[in-house]
Amino acid sequence: MNGTAVVTEVETRDQDALDAPWNVVVHNDPVNLMSYVTMVFQRVMGFPRDKAIKHMLEVHHKGRSLVWSGGRERAESIVEQLHGYLLLATIEQAEL
Amino acid sequence: MRFRRASTDSWELRDIHPLFVSLLAELPKVAARHKKAQSRLYPDPIGGADHAELRRDWKEHVRPELERLFASSRETVAGDVSALDGPNHGGKLVIPGGHLAAWLNSLNQARLVIVEESNFSEADLDHREPPDLATRRGLSLLKMHFYAHLQELLVEAAG
Repeated sequence: MNGTAVVTEVETRDQDALDAPWNVVVHNDPVNLMSYVTMVFQRVMGFPRDKAIKHMLEVHHKGRSLVWSGGRERAESIVEQLHGYLLLATIEQAEL
Repeated sequence: MRFRRASTDSWELRDIHPLFVSLLAELPKVAARHKKAQSRLYPDPIGGADHAELRRDWKEHVRPELERLFASSRETVAGDVSALDGPNHGGKLVIPGGHLAAWLNSLNQARLVIVEESNFSEADLDHREPPDLATRRGLSLLKMHFYAHLQELLVEAAG
């Protein structure tokens, strides 16, 4: 038997990276104006106007739009900001 | 009613009809009637039955922040509309540019409260016939439309 050593490399990552990503979903409601939702997407999500309108229309026509995906802490922060603007928004854990 | 930029950092409503003066004056009070609109003003942050810990943390830490934000917006608007007290306002209201966010927030609070109190459906809100002002429901619908119109003007101004 020769003396070749087997080295097992263990990659460590933080828990956020190991978890399935979290989605931020905005839901339709009859009260919020289309222009207002567009403005909020621009301010909170940093979307350019065209992208903000696209997501606003998706909310309006399909009832929901996924506006962000990533770590849980950031997702919660975004939903908090959206609730501050009185938009209906939730976080949802994506399926792996 | 006319809406225009009054200076580099303020906007004004002029020639406001007395009925709309009264709707503006009562905006912060309407927005403060949160009782029936709790679930809409403070919605569940996550779908499904799981995640009790997240909901608990949210209620403990996030909701008080939202309550403070909403109250602060209403206070700002209440200060602005206090200029409409008494007979000498001349149908004019000045909105400082720095108050636009508070106005947008308060208008949304008020509209959400009215929808919950009056149980308006999407069809009710889209109905374009003039509301029957002899009824409480018709007056509420007028408020919804007036506050929405003002919100559209302010969104444009804020943009």
